[in-house]
Amino acid sequence: MRNLLKHIQASIFRVGWPKDERAATKAMVSSITLHVHPPKVRPAALKFRASWALGIISLVLAGALTATGVYLMFYYYPHPDVAWRSMKDLAFVVPFGVVTRNLHRWGAHAMVAIVTLHMLRVFLAGGYKPPREANWVAGVALWVLTLALSFTGYLLPWDQLAYWAVTVGANMAGAIPWLGKPLRILLLGDLTVGEAALLRFYVLHCVLLPLLLFGFVGFHLFRVRKDGGLVVAEHDPATLNAKPGFRIPSWPHLVYREFLVGLVTTAVLLLLSLIANAPLEPLADPARTPNPAKAPWYFLGIQELAHWSAFWGGVFVPAVTVLGLAALPYFDRHMDGVGRYFPKERRVASTLFLLLMTFFAVVTVIGTLFRGPAWALMRWPS
Amino acid sequence: MTPREDRWLHAVFAAASVAIVVLVGVAVAREWHRPLTVEQRLVLALGVVDRCVTCHDESQHPGKALEQHPVERFGCTPCHGGQGLATTAQAAHRASPDWERPLFSKSERDAACGACHLGAAAPVPSLVAGRRALTERGCAGCHTIPGIAPPNHAPELDGLRDKVTPAWVRAWLTDPEKLDPRHRMPTFALTRPEIEALVAYLWTLTGAPLTPLPAEPTGDADRGKTALARLRCATCHAFEGRGGDFAPDLGLAGVKLDPLWLWNYLTNTHRLRPHTRMPGFQLAQEDASDIVAYAAEQWVPDTGVLPWQAFAGDVKPELAQQGQLLFAEQGCGGCHLVAGKRAPPSAPALDRLGDRRASDLSSTQKGRTLADVPTWVAQKVLEPRAFDMPGAQRSKMPSFPHVAAEEALALGIALATQHAVLPPELWIRHHDVPPFQPPPGEVGQLISRFRCVSCHRFHGQGGDVSRIPLDNAGARLQQAWLERFLHTPVTVRMDQPERMPVLGMTPREAKLLAAWIETTFGDDRVAPAPMLLPEDVTAGKALFVQNKCGECHVADGGGTMKGPTLDGASLRLQPSYVVALLRDPTVVPENRHPSQRFPDAAARAMAAYVLSLPGGSPWPDALP
Repeated sequence: MRNLLKHIQASIFRVGWPKDERAATKAMVSSITLHVHPPKVRPAALKFRASWALGIISLVLAGALTATGVYLMFYYYPHPDVAWRSMKDLAFVVPFGVVTRNLHRWGAHAMVAIVTLHMLRVFLAGGYKPPREANWVAGVALWVLTLALSFTGYLLPWDQLAYWAVTVGANMAGAIPWLGKPLRILLLGDLTVGEAALLRFYVLHCVLLPLLLFGFVGFHLFRVRKDGGLVVAEHDPATLNAKPGFRIPSWPHLVYREFLVGLVTTAVLLLLSLIANAPLEPLADPARTPNPAKAPWYFLGIQELAHWSAFWGGVFVPAVTVLGLAALPYFDRHMDGVGRYFPKERRVASTLFLLLMTFFAVVTVIGTLFRGPAWALMRWPS
Repeated sequence: MTPREDRWLHAVFAAASVAIVVLVGVAVAREWHRPLTVEQRLVLALGVVDRCVTCHDESQHPGKALEQHPVERFGCTPCHGGQGLATTAQAAHRASPDWERPLFSKSERDAACGACHLGAAAPVPSLVAGRRALTERGCAGCHTIPGIAPPNHAPELDGLRDKVTPAWVRAWLTDPEKLDPRHRMPTFALTRPEIEALVAYLWTLTGAPLTPLPAEPTGDADRGKTALARLRCATCHAFEGRGGDFAPDLGLAGVKLDPLWLWNYLTNTHRLRPHTRMPGFQLAQEDASDIVAYAAEQWVPDTGVLPWQAFAGDVKPELAQQGQLLFAEQGCGGCHLVAGKRAPPSAPALDRLGDRRASDLSSTQKGRTLADVPTWVAQKVLEPRAFDMPGAQRSKMPSFPHVAAEEALALGIALATQHAVLPPELWIRHHDVPPFQPPPGEVGQLISRFRCVSCHRFHGQGGDVSRIPLDNAGARLQQAWLERFLHTPVTVRMDQPERMPVLGMTPREAKLLAAWIETTFGDDRVAPAPMLLPEDVTAGKALFVQNKCGECHVADGGGTMKGPTLDGASLRLQPSYVVALLRDPTVVPENRHPSQRFPDAAARAMAAYVLSLPGGSPWPDALP
């Protein structure tokens, strides 16, 4: 019996618990889950400030969202007659329904924020420069996918918040010249947000966008490894006394740290989900427009800009930002200061990018907290 | 990696692991409070899922409401409000950001009944009162309210200038209270220039031309007073401080009315006011002249009432135009017909007030928020000005000084029944009382001309000046007596101040109407002619005395007059009706009779006695 168990274990784990550096390397290479990592990493890449763990947090959140999302799918009906009632069932009769929905909701918001910060971090470290250009573009795609997933998920509770946020979002998309109206109809399946839109958003949210996301995540992780791991300066102060090219085994140093990031992320998300409940408003009512009707918070910067000019603020600026981000590595190619934050050589680029992000942050805060009825400025958040 | 770094990492591991274990424990502990099994009642037609029965035992429901509204079919929340999906008391009973309908208040529950129980006679007292008030107060004059007809009791304004003086209209629009404390028009708080413009507009409206007075005005004031008494005008109108309040107080008619108009009105009422509720008396010219003379002599103008100078000279067209705009804006034409036409609704439709949530209800100037629709409506009616925000335009809603708090709440209840989406057809119950339709032909014309339904009710419809509905009048009354009564009314019920007016019917008209009433207003509960035996009279008298009938009725010259006099009853009442009444008092109109039911033999004996009582006809002769 004991032999049989050992046999089964050995059939799965080719290499036992690694006892030395050689075994550790072998373990990393022989496992499908671990093989995405390099067998050895540079010590500088393990420093918290090298990545602030933002990529791993995003990945953990994506995993948590998938798990909770599947659970929610068991109880959710994507039809206006019953969608909102599904939220009520989650709140009142489904075991762990409240906490699961909270995890999903706060996880989604956190993911939007963390993925954005991840992008900021990579930019500041110059992580988009050769040979990482394609992976940066994949990262931009993942950022857009994250926003799209969050936006499509926003509609599903079918409450006033969802209905009007998506109505506003769809109207902003409709402001795109030429493409706007067909795109809006393609997205909503109708002229207004209704049962067709709910079904489309549901399918996008649960099938199409996750598939795309996981495809890009696979590509992204693969390329992280193939492009040489985290971008860190060759002469990092932490490894000054080590010779260039010095590596330490990923097992246990990298894997353990990743595990800890996952643990902490889970704990924080769980804590958040037990403290605060996901918002729910009354059943969607096309006849009762809230004043003001607001998009989800991460689009409120754009809504604020669109308030100034529907085309320039609502279409031009966001489009140029996304396209500019994707095109960035093909224009900014010099390699000075890569791997360090705020190097002298990249002062202009860092400042410009930070200014852009600050600008978006400021308009988002204004749109979220300081806009009242009729989009009038308010002294203090209502 | 340094040992210090390792220790740090292990600390993070320990802290995060403990945190996760504790947090999962909290999540599990929270699940513990959930009821293990959830009971629910589904109403598929409404998409209602009511989990109230998880905690509440429906067999303990007080009253008999569930007999006709089983929970399996109707659920709980359609009548009680609250959040049926919830399984915690807090969420089920209270309002929350996602659920704006907490458990219904008493008035909201009544309104919930009214969502299905349509019509004026719905089996809920507050609904009956509310719907009646909606009609009586003329709410539908300005607002569109499904199921409520616009008011028909406001005077038409064509030819108003022939009827009253401009000074009267000015005084009336300034402070109607002062002129007639029982008036029904709401108060519009008009400014002096606005009133001036309205008067100018009203003076452009011409009515039917007046017939000139007879060449020699021969009216006599004393004869006029006698005529008013003889015609029993006081049943509806008060004069010299006494009389009914069904129609305008005549105390100020001398100030208000133009003598020529009054004379025309009395001689041919419906020519000037085709929609009035006053019967077409068609008074003889002498009577009319006498009453006009009496008015002029007795009703001295009270100059204190009329603060401004009389209207003189021509109407300025631009002022009249301004007045016309104001007339439309204030919605006057919703109640007062002009050129026979009613103005379209001038105020918001009240067809879905029941859908309003607490957050949709405007708060008062002082920031008072109203919890539910009935209370909000009540407050709007009682204190409409309290909702006018400083700086914003004043709402057009007039004030209703005579509406008491209870009536205002009933109005709110009746309005809170209005929803955009009606309940399923199967649930709807119509409690409408079909409007009285006079039959075609001469009888119908007579009923219309004498405005019978202004005072009498028939199947619950009509005025309530007379306490005696016409429903089974044919089964009750002898035809010969009835036709005599219609021609020359006498007093049957001494205890009631309302008297049938002298309508001035010709013998032929009285006979025609009496025959129609006899054949139309029957009663299945009144069996055809029973045999009344003279030998039962003695036993009947004994029963009559024993049951103290004399405490209300006059019999044999003795007794009191709380009920109708029974002397000479054989001329008035049908024997079969008297027997039926004693066996089952519910056949008495308005059910004022004591509820005792006598066995058949006793009823026959007492009927034999009552119909044997002496007493001649109040009229000297039969109709020709």
